[in-house]
Parts: sequence; structure tokens; C-alpha cells
Amino acid sequence: MQPLPQALPAPGPGGPRPAAPLLALLLLLALRGSAAAPAGSEGPQGSAAAPEGPQDSAWQRDSELPHGLLQRAARAALHFFNFRAGSPSALRGLAAVQQGRAWINSKKECQVDLEFTTEHYNPEEGEERLGKCSAQVFFKNEKPRPTINVTCTRFMEKSKRQQEDYLLYKHMKQLKDPLDVISIPDSHGHIDPSLRPIWDLAFLGSSYVMWEKTTQFLHYYMAQLSSVKQWKTDEDAIDFDYTVLLHEFSTQEIIPCRIHLVWHPSKPLKVKYHCQGPQAPEEASGIEEGSAAAPTTGLTNY
Amino acid sequence: MKWILFFGALIGPSICGRGKFFGDQVFRINVRNGDEISKLNELMKSDNLKLNFWKSPCSLGHPVDVLVPAVSLQPVEFFLKSQGLDYSVTIEDLQALLDKEDEEMQYNKEQERSSNNFNYGAYHSLEAIYQEMDSIAGDFPDLASRVKIGHSFENRPMYVLKFSTGKGSQRPAIWLNAGIHSREWISQATAMWTARKIVSDYGKDPAITSILEKMDIFLLPVANPDGYVHTHTENRLWRKTRSLHPGSPCIGVDPNRNWNASFAGKGASGNPCSEVYHGPHANSEVEVKSVVDFIQQHGDFKCFIDLHSYSQLLMYPYAYTAKEAPDADELDEVARRAAEALASLSGTQYRVGSSATTVYQASGSSVDWAYDNGIKYAFTFELRDTGHYGFLLPADQIIPTAEETWLGLKTIMEHVRDHLY
Repeated sequence: MQPLPQALPAPGPGGPRPAAPLLALLLLLALRGSAAAPAGSEGPQGSAAAPEGPQDSAWQRDSELPHGLLQRAARAALHFFNFRAGSPSALRGLAAVQQGRAWINSKKECQVDLEFTTEHYNPEEGEERLGKCSAQVFFKNEKPRPTINVTCTRFMEKSKRQQEDYLLYKHMKQLKDPLDVISIPDSHGHIDPSLRPIWDLAFLGSSYVMWEKTTQFLHYYMAQLSSVKQWKTDEDAIDFDYTVLLHEFSTQEIIPCRIHLVWHPSKPLKVKYHCQGPQAPEEASGIEEGSAAAPTTGLTNY
Repeated sequence: MKWILFFGALIGPSICGRGKFFGDQVFRINVRNGDEISKLNELMKSDNLKLNFWKSPCSLGHPVDVLVPAVSLQPVEFFLKSQGLDYSVTIEDLQALLDKEDEEMQYNKEQERSSNNFNYGAYHSLEAIYQEMDSIAGDFPDLASRVKIGHSFENRPMYVLKFSTGKGSQRPAIWLNAGIHSREWISQATAMWTARKIVSDYGKDPAITSILEKMDIFLLPVANPDGYVHTHTENRLWRKTRSLHPGSPCIGVDPNRNWNASFAGKGASGNPCSEVYHGPHANSEVEVKSVVDFIQQHGDFKCFIDLHSYSQLLMYPYAYTAKEAPDADELDEVARRAAEALASLSGTQYRVGSSATTVYQASGSSVDWAYDNGIKYAFTFELRDTGHYGFLLPADQIIPTAEETWLGLKTIMEHVRDHLY
């Protein structure tokens, strides 16, 4: 079965689309063969097994394939990937969606298989390396926390990544208590270079939140780090308690989320959060309503 | 004190590359007696610690300030503690402090408000923008004029720049709309750069010269002045107008859901507290009505372009329905060429398509209204970036964004010039 060709622009500075939709097909078939998350698990992979797709006759190919859906799926997969990697120096951003297809079943659950390219979130001077990822994203009907299987090509040597993380960690331990810092970036988009690691760490924690909140209709960006409640570095790990403003598409709402994370370069990332619900009840318009999830702890075993 | 040298030699790996004083600290040491002065003098003599005494240990009663490079922090602290010297760290990261100062100086420079000093690579207050619009009109009186088309809810003027070589006779016109959503600062900033570009390039660049020979251009850099002021004074992420509604504590209407194009349909909300609240009725917002009235009275607009951020998209009608607009094929072709022209400058990729199929359905939008009212060449730009900074796009991206967008705008305007109807 051939992937649905999409009228997508060229994938950017990485060059022409890599050869062989066949390769992509083989890769996706291999992915489908590999284990999906076990049912009922509470780990980062979510609580439902991903369905088989075309083999299961309850699934219909979603021929309309709104491009927005592929983008949302890619972003959710990346948030999940970044969170699971737990590395503020190796964060990835979405470069371009290359191809994808979706299936919908009678319960309006939606599975998206896709390939996309990534770039380094904090590229160095002149760095233009692109990474490649394949992902399966399974959206429950209008419920958040999609189940995700994602594999990405290696971006950075593991030892280099660990070294960079450790340097970041050391720098953070020396930072003056940034409690008086309000708003990163400032109104003009400026981030003080010495505070950049705080932004990166905040983004890492937010990735967990943004993954959990994403549905097939809603996705998120981190708009601003609006306050730092606590920044403790005297113990072994960085203990970081902060508020971010998330920008919610397509409602355009700004959602404040209080996040508490504990990070050490060689230990699993711990995140707890609480987001504010909408100001007032929404009209019936398919937008998710209600108060945010109770504080959740996520652990990664990367 | 042999072991000063010993510890000095234990210089750990340096954290380099981020500024000369990255991680360096300034210590203030209280010298309480002559003995402590001599101990400090020992410290001063140690070359390899690379200490920089801002004040020398010469007399009692005067604290000593010393700049300690990051690599020497440990041995120095050990020395001070073990010698029982009284000290505190007064600057914990010298580079951070210097950077902050640089930033402030930069910011202050950008605040200068004489017309010669309007920095197009910075974000400005509403006042500064209005003043610069006046300057442009003053600098090029035969080409540009500042026109008041109405006022905002809080009674601020709505100013448009009119570019015309028609000497009074009315020509088919192009409308460039910006800043309708106040938090999308790159939109207003791009509009201002574009204004200056039009007047500077007329008579030099064949494209804009020929466009202005046949058509007039109207540019509204701040379509939502009240919202814009609010983003400067209270809430940087404010989107809507600032109108009040009896019966609701929430303020403002989404001005891009308030136009009479499938008003109150899908993709807008009837809840006054929502960011996409469509308002009590179409054109309820005076900011929207001012534009509608002006365009209708003029009667001969051929092109309407609305600048937003962010996402890097170039879209055409419809937003209120997924059904194809009658001119979709032509608009798509023009949009693709415009996106290519835009990308040719720095490689910035835009996606192209109808609004409903590219992002989501949204009723009551400006571009849909324009299209359904006979303005065929109707486009929406979502400018940089794709989410890294989002609304808070760093000021150093203003000029690159404006320059590339200009190439896209010209492509569209040239097509309009060649396909007047």
C-alpha cells in the first residue's frame, strides 16, 4: 500500500526528499510489527494498545487527511520524544512533515502514521543538521494523551549529548537565583544568553505537558516562561518550579501551567504539573472543556 | 602558601565560548586586620589564578573587590574559607550582568523617538508608529499621506497610509491590513518596514513603480490600536479588541471573527471570554466597521491582504468553509509563486492553501469578507515563525521577515496589476 502523496513543500535545507517510498513503507511495516504499548500501562506510552490499521476492518482510511492533523501528530510525537530523552541540550524542533496517512474507526479514534524531519532546537552557529523520525500516533476520540511510538535517527553522539547536558547542569548550578526574573523571553522576544538554559529546561518540562494535552483537534506551543517560583540547585539535582503560558491551537487560548520538575543529567526526569482550565465554559464547539488534569507524575527510563 | 599554587594548578575544564566573563564572579572581601591584608597579598601574587583585583588590599576598613575567573573559583573559595577570611559574592555571573546591560542599552537606543531614529529592526509603541507614519507622509508628500479612517473603542485614531501617484483621481486599490490581532507584533513591525520600503523604492524599483502607476496602496499597520497598547502596558499576549460587554466581566471581541462572512458560524465562539469571541453582531467592533465602511465607500478595491503571525502560511479563501472558492485555482497559483519568491531570500518555507484546509475553519474573517465582496485577490499571511518563539519573535528577525515578505507581497501585487478586472 503506497503512502498517500501529499502536496507538501520540499523539506527545507535538508535537500530533496529521500529516495524510496518503499523504504518508508518497509520502515512503517517494521514499526507496526514492533511492540506497541501494553494495555493498561501507566508509563509515558499511554494506556491503550495502538490498533493494527488496515488489517483491522473497523478502520477506514481517512482520505481527506487535513494537513493540520499530520502537523499535530508530528508535534505530539516530538513533545513525547523530547520528554522521554530528558536532555535539554538535545531538544528537537519540527522541520517538516514528509509523508503520512491516517485511519479513523467507528469510535472516531484516529491513528496517524507519519515521517518528519527535525532540527536542533538550539542550533549552533551554521548548524543545519536534520534528523528524521517515524511515528505512530494514536488519538482517542477528542481525548488527550495520544499513544505514541516514535523513532528518530540519532542526532548527536550520546557522549557529546551527555557532556553538553553536564555542562548545562554545571552552569545552572552557578546561576544566581532567578526568582526575580519575570518573563522569558521578554516582550521583544529577547532571552538573556545566560538564562537560555532555564528556557530550555522549562521547554523540556513543558514537552511532557504539551504531549499529554494534545488531541486530534488541539495542539500547543510554549509561548512564554512567565514566572519562576523556585530554583533550587543546592542538592544534587535542579529543582525547578515555574509557570509557563501555553498557546492552544485552534482555540487561540493562552493556558497558564504550573510545572515542577526535578532534573539531573544522569537520572530520569520527574515532572508534575497543573494547568488552569478555561475561564468560562465553552459553547458546544468540539473544544475540550473542563478543569485540567490532577497533578501527574511522569517518569522516564531513557 | 604552597598549596595555593597546588590548587591553582587544578584548573578544571573551562566553560568557553559564551562571552569573555562567562561564569566569572566578583568577590568582596572584608579585611579586618593587618594579618588578613598579608594573606590577601599572598593571593594577589599567585599568577596562575588570574585574579583581577578591582580594589587592592591596602588598608583596613575598605573591602577588597576581586574578579575571580570561573576556573579559579574553587581554589579561591577554599583559600578564603580555610584562612578564615570574611567574604561575599557580589556578582555571581559577570557575563550575565554585562549582557543585561547591553540589552538595556540596545533597548534604550530603540526608544529614541525622532523621525530620523525610528529603528525598523525594533518593536515600537503605538505613539512611535503613528509618529513615523506621519514622518513618512512628510518625507514623501507627493506619494504618501496619512489618512484617519476612524477610531477605536477607546477612541484612539485609526490611521492608514495611502500611497498614490494618481494626483486625486481614484484608482483600483490594494489594501494591506496588519495588527488586527494585537499580540502578533511581527505583523505591525513588518507593515512599518513595508511602508518605508514602498516610498524608498518608488522610482527605483520597476516593480513597485509600475504597480503604483496603475493602482493605489492603502496600508493599515495597526488595525487594533487598543489591543496593541494593551500588549505594551498590561498583557503581552492580548489578542482581541478592548470593547466592553454589558453582562460579562470579559473584555474584547476577536476582530477577525467579527466580519460579515458567515458570521457566528463554525470556528468562532459566542462566549465573551473566549479568544475567538465573534461579538454580538457583525461589525460590532468599531475597528472593523471603520475598515468595512472605508472600503465600501471607495468601491474599487481589487486586493486585500491580511498579515498575521505565526505559522508561516500563505492562504486564500475560504476560512468559513472547506468548499473551494470559485477562484481557488488562480489564487493557489499566485500564492505558490509568492511563497517561492518569499523563500528565495533566506529559505523560509511557507505552506500554501485555503485557510479552512490549511489550518482550521474560522467564520467572520476579514479575508473571506473581502473576497465575498468582490475583492478577488484576498490573502492571509501567517508570518514567522513556526512556534519556537511564536508571538514573541525576537526583534532581530523583524527585518529579515519584512524583507522576505516583501518579495511575496510584490508577487501578488504584480499579478493584480496584470490582471485588473
